[in-house]
Parts: sequence; C-alpha cells; structure tokens
Amino acid sequence: MIQTENTLFTIAVIGYFILTALNFAFVILKKEPLAKAAFRLQAGIFILHTAALVLRGIGTGHWPMTNQYEFSTSFAWALCLVSLIFIRKYRFPVLGAFSSPLILLMIGYAAMQNREVRELMPSLRSSWLAFHVSTAIIAYGAFGVTCVISLIFLFRGRMKEEGFWGQHIPDTEKLDMISYRSACLGMLFLTLTILTGAIWAEQAWGSYWSWDPKETWSLVTWIIYAVYLHLRIRRGWKGKGAAWFAVIGFVCVIFTYIGVNTFLPGVHSYA
Amino acid sequence: MKKIGKFLSSMPFAIILLVLLAAACALSSTVSQGQTYEYYAAQYGERMAGLILALRLDDAFHSWWFIGLSTVLCINLFCCNLIRLPALMKRAEAFAKPDGMTTGITAEAAGDGDPHRLFAALHMPKAKEDGDGRIFAAGNKAGFWGAWICHLGILLLILGFALGQMTMKQYTVYALPGQTKEMGDSGLSVTVEDLRISRDENGAILQYTAMLTVSDSVKNTVESGRAAVNAPANLYGYKFFQNSIGWGADVRVLKNGEELQKEQLCVGEFFAVADKPELVICFPAFYPDYSAEIKTNDPAAEVKDPAYIYQVYYQGQILGMNALKAGEELTIDEYTVLFERPRNYTLLAVKRDSFTWLVLLGGLITLAGLVLAFWLQPSAVCAVREGSGWHVYGRCRKGGVLFRDEFLKAAAEAGFTPCENRTTAGGDT
Ligand code: HEM
Repeated sequence: MIQTENTLFTIAVIGYFILTALNFAFVILKKEPLAKAAFRLQAGIFILHTAALVLRGIGTGHWPMTNQYEFSTSFAWALCLVSLIFIRKYRFPVLGAFSSPLILLMIGYAAMQNREVRELMPSLRSSWLAFHVSTAIIAYGAFGVTCVISLIFLFRGRMKEEGFWGQHIPDTEKLDMISYRSACLGMLFLTLTILTGAIWAEQAWGSYWSWDPKETWSLVTWIIYAVYLHLRIRRGWKGKGAAWFAVIGFVCVIFTYIGVNTFLPGVHSYA
Repeated sequence: MKKIGKFLSSMPFAIILLVLLAAACALSSTVSQGQTYEYYAAQYGERMAGLILALRLDDAFHSWWFIGLSTVLCINLFCCNLIRLPALMKRAEAFAKPDGMTTGITAEAAGDGDPHRLFAALHMPKAKEDGDGRIFAAGNKAGFWGAWICHLGILLLILGFALGQMTMKQYTVYALPGQTKEMGDSGLSVTVEDLRISRDENGAILQYTAMLTVSDSVKNTVESGRAAVNAPANLYGYKFFQNSIGWGADVRVLKNGEELQKEQLCVGEFFAVADKPELVICFPAFYPDYSAEIKTNDPAAEVKDPAYIYQVYYQGQILGMNALKAGEELTIDEYTVLFERPRNYTLLAVKRDSFTWLVLLGGLITLAGLVLAFWLQPSAVCAVREGSGWHVYGRCRKGGVLFRDEFLKAAAEAGFTPCENRTTAGGDT
C-alpha cells in the first residue's frame, strides 16, 4: 500500500513539474489551448494525488495528516483543489500559471520530508485532530490562492488593458472580489481549525488555549485576515492596501506552518 | 469629545487595535514565557533581560498592557456593534422592500423579456407582485447580520475566556497506583487505583488509562471514574486529564536491620527519615535500562536493568549522590535504604472552568456569523413596467461585480437588454 502511495506521490511530483512548465509555456507563447491542457493535467494530477493520500491513510491506519510529510503533501493537495475550483468557477486560467509554482514548491517541500510511517502517540489518536488538520489544509489552500490572486491584482495594476494580460486577467475590481471570496473560504476554515484545535487541546491536555507559539501564530494569522476584511470595506484602503495584507497573511500562514516549528518551541513540535 | 468617542468606537480604530494585537502576539511568541531573569540574561544579555522583565514580556499574555489592549478592543467592538444596531435594522428592513431600491442599483436591463424567468434564474422563486405593479424579491437577507453576529460571538468568546481565567481552579496531581494525594486546597483527595498502558502488537502505546477514586473527607463521599488520553474523567465537577506518566518506586528504610519506614516516591520527590528528620533522601532520576548504550529515562520503556539515582542530604548539606542497581543498598550509619518495585506514576491535570461553555458558544456564534457574512450576499431584484415591457433592477449589497455579471447573464437569457444604470426602482424619481 505504502509502496503504491510512494509511486503515486512521485508521479504527482513530476506531474506538478510538467504542469508548471506547461503554464509557463502558456504565459510565454500566449496560446489558449495550452491553458486548457494545463487545466486538464491539473485535474488529472489532482486525482492521482488524492489516490496517494487515500492509500497513505489506509496504509498507515490513521488520517494522513499527522506529520510534516503528510501535512505538506496535503497542503499541496488543498492548494491544487482550491485553485482548480477558482480557475473553473471564475474562468481564470492565468490563476493556474501563478498557483502551480506554489503547489510545486509545497510538494517539493513534502518530498524532502521523512516519509517513514510512525505510530501515533495516544494524544494524536483523536477525531478532533482529524477535523483540526483537515480544516487547516483547506484554510491554508484557500489563503495560498488568495495570496496568488492578490499578487496578480498588484501586478495587474501595471498592465495595459489591451493585449494578452488584459484579455486573460479579470479587471482589478473583479480580481479583488475573487481574492475576497477565497479569503472568506480561508477565514471560515481557519476559524474552524482554531475551534476544533481548542476542543482537541481541551480533551487532550485540559487547556483549550495555552498561548503555545503555534496557537499564538494561528491567532496572528486570523487577526491579519480580519484586518484584510475590514480594510476591504474602507474606501481609501480598498484594493492595494487590502491586497498587501492578503500577501502578509499568507506569509504568516507559512510561518505558522514551518517557521514556528523551526524557530520557536512548543507542544506542536510533532507537526 | 463627541468626535473622540466616535473615533474610539470606529472601524479605523479597530483596525489599529487589531494590528497592534497581532504585533504584540507575534513579539511575545519569540520570547520564551515564564522564565527567570538569569535565563533571559544568559539568552539575550543583561540589558535585554531587564527590558523583558520591565515590559512583562516574560508573561506577556497576562501582562497589564496585553489585557489592556484586549479590553480596549472589546469596548471598541461592543460600542461599534451597539451603535450600528439601529441603522443595521433599518437598512435590512429597507433592503427587503421595493421602496428601498432607490440607491445603489448594481445592474439594470430593459425590454420585453419575462421577469419571472429572471427571478427563477437568480434563484428567487418567492418574487411577489405589489399593488404598484412591481415584482420584487429579496434574497439572503440574513447576510446583513453576519458581521454583527460574528462580532457578538467574539465578544462572548473573550468574555468567557476572561471569566474562565479569573475563576478557574487548576491542580496538578501525580501519584503511583495505590497512592492517595491531597488535591491542593480543594478539600478533595485523589487515589490512583490503577494505571493501565495498552500497546499494540509492535509495542507502540495506544492508550494510558488511570482508574481514579476521589473522596471528599468533609462530606464523606467518593466518586470514581477513569481518565484516559483524550477522554477525561468528570468527578466532583472537576475534569481529570491523563496528562503524562513518569517513574516512581518504593523506598524502604531499615534501622539496624528492622524496617523503620516505607515510602512510595515519584522521581523528583524526597522524604526525611522518620526518626532523624535532618537526614533527607531524594530520588532525582530513574533509568529503566542502565546498561543500554544510550541511557534513557523514557517512562514508557521496558524495565531491564534498573538504576535508581539518589541524593542524601544531612542538615541541608549534600552528603552523596550515586546510582543504585536492583538489589543494591545504601548504608548511612545505622540506616539502610532500599529502592524497589519501579513502576509508572500518572500525572493528572485537574481543572474546573465554569465558563468553557461560554467560550464554545462564542466560538460557534462567531462561526455562524462568518457563514452568514460570507455565504449569504443580500441581493434584491425589482421589475417595473415600462411601456409594453419591463425595466429590471438588481441590487447587491456586496460583491457587486460578480452579481452584475450574474444578473446581466440571467437578464439576457430572460430576454432583456442590459442598460446603463439610470433610474431607481423604488419611487417616482
Ligand atoms: C477580531 C476581531 C474581528 C473580527 C474577526 C471581525 C470580523 C468581521 C467580519 C467577518 C466582517 C464582515 C466582513 C465582510 O462581510 O466582508 C466584519 C465587518 C465589520 N466589522 Fe468586524 N471584526 C472584528 C473586529 C471588529 C471591531 C473591533 C470593530 C469595531 C469597530 C469592527 C467593525 C466592523 C464593521 C463596521 C464591519 C462592517 C459591517 C457590515 O458590513 O455590516 N470589527 N467584521
């Protein structure tokens, strides 16, 4: 089972690499059919990647998001899922061109992690934990897409209305709205992540909030996106200011995920 | 004065406070909490250590400035929610009526199309005709309340958290199976009847379960239960959490060959010899396999070649420290000390927080508010007779661009032609 998962994972890594190359080709050669092919390829890799995660879950006997490797491959999977949804829903193939390098980075990070299957300590055997990490990867995936769209927004301001970019990237008003939608998705799921995490911590350690660095940073991230939501309502800050906050928010997400374990001590050190 | 009050309950002030709070959290997370001056001095230098203590960064989340900042945010949020309530009610009401469509029209179209098809395409089956010949529908009205409900939830959550912090009772109890310990000032005592560790076929630990009896000596009552990881016991209104395990053993003291005293000791504990209290025996560490290449004091490891580390103090001065293997004994004048029966103790975290429910309720209300705010975009559509055809107006409170596209697409399918925003649907203007 784990052998097959390994093979599927490797195919997915190669797939994401080809996807990124194909997207680059689309942007450079400006040929529409390449974007269509990239979307189909992304959907195909997504299915393989899903199968790999399912096999990992069956093979290890637990929800496949409990160590650094499992969480980072799931993170890449969620980025892939959310970007697929947004590309399709808003007919926005250029989003794929910007999001695929991010997915590639994340799956590359996963590939560098230890893939060994280890037994879970008792406190990690909890359904609340499964909820907690599942909602976290969706939130992170959505925030990744928000960040990408916000970067496109900031980049769009410098582009001419005519030509390839003008045709393929929605106007700034619409971009702002699309990134707002994915930020909403992220905010909703981040709130769920924090709530389910608190319920789990209460059950496992008797303290639903202990200002552990990871908890603190998830709160920082949550506040940053709250600021983003409020800035969007303010006239003067709408647009660029809010877009920068969405980018800062994703930097916080990455710091919460990777930086906290590396630089700060805490009970989340296993994840 | 009025201006200042207005600013203090305003959103720009809220944004400043939120940014400050995020910065405060981020800064505090980089400083190890609850350490001593010596620790910070060794880590960051003496000047920084002084600064850390002066700013209370060693216990930042309970410091006056952090609590102050959070309180100001709560007051700001409370006032903002309160002040906006009447206007919000008015707006929500107006939005749900055709007369309310006097401003903020997002898109409009006109022609000989069928307005009912337009309403159906926009998922507004409840469109009604009013006396003035207008057809009107408003959808997702609950969306108006999303932010308000979310803010209310946050206030309840913070209130529950603060009340919990102020009234919470917390204890830590550790005991070997068979041992009874007092639970701080609670008037209760805890007996660990048994500690079970279940493993799978590979030896990996699945669960720790402590069987507990708690007794109230004043009322002369007892309650029993089991505390396992992720499944706390609920006794006398307290929750008992199986937190961790550690090593302990029996220690016997013989005097001239006769048993004088028997103690059950957990690692880290000490006792005074019964008839010579100035002589104190400490048990600072235990190694389950002392002959292993890598010596570990892992509490879940198998006992193979046990070694008990001891320290002896006389009148506060250390007399000696060494390791005793199984069967070895320590002799001090006429006293002989024996360490036996190594086994695990359980460490229980005990808590009574009467406001956890409020925090959970606040969290759920916040979540509900977010769902309403994000999911339900209030929108209204009105069709007004114009010549032989209709003029149709769409209005969306938020997300205008996306709604405009959707509206114009549905309008085109229903047989209307988009037109520039020019009139209002509500009245005579
Ligand atoms: C951590 C704290 C906060 C969170 C999570 C939060 C959350 C939200 C959310 C989700 C919205 C809806 C945004 C949207 O629909 O796009 C919102 C709107 C708003 N918030 Fe907050 N908020 C917070 C604090 C505050 C504070 C302290 C104020 C105080 C003035 C405030 C004032 C407002 C206002 C005026 C709106 C616009 C409401 C509307 O559109 O009906 N918020 N907030």
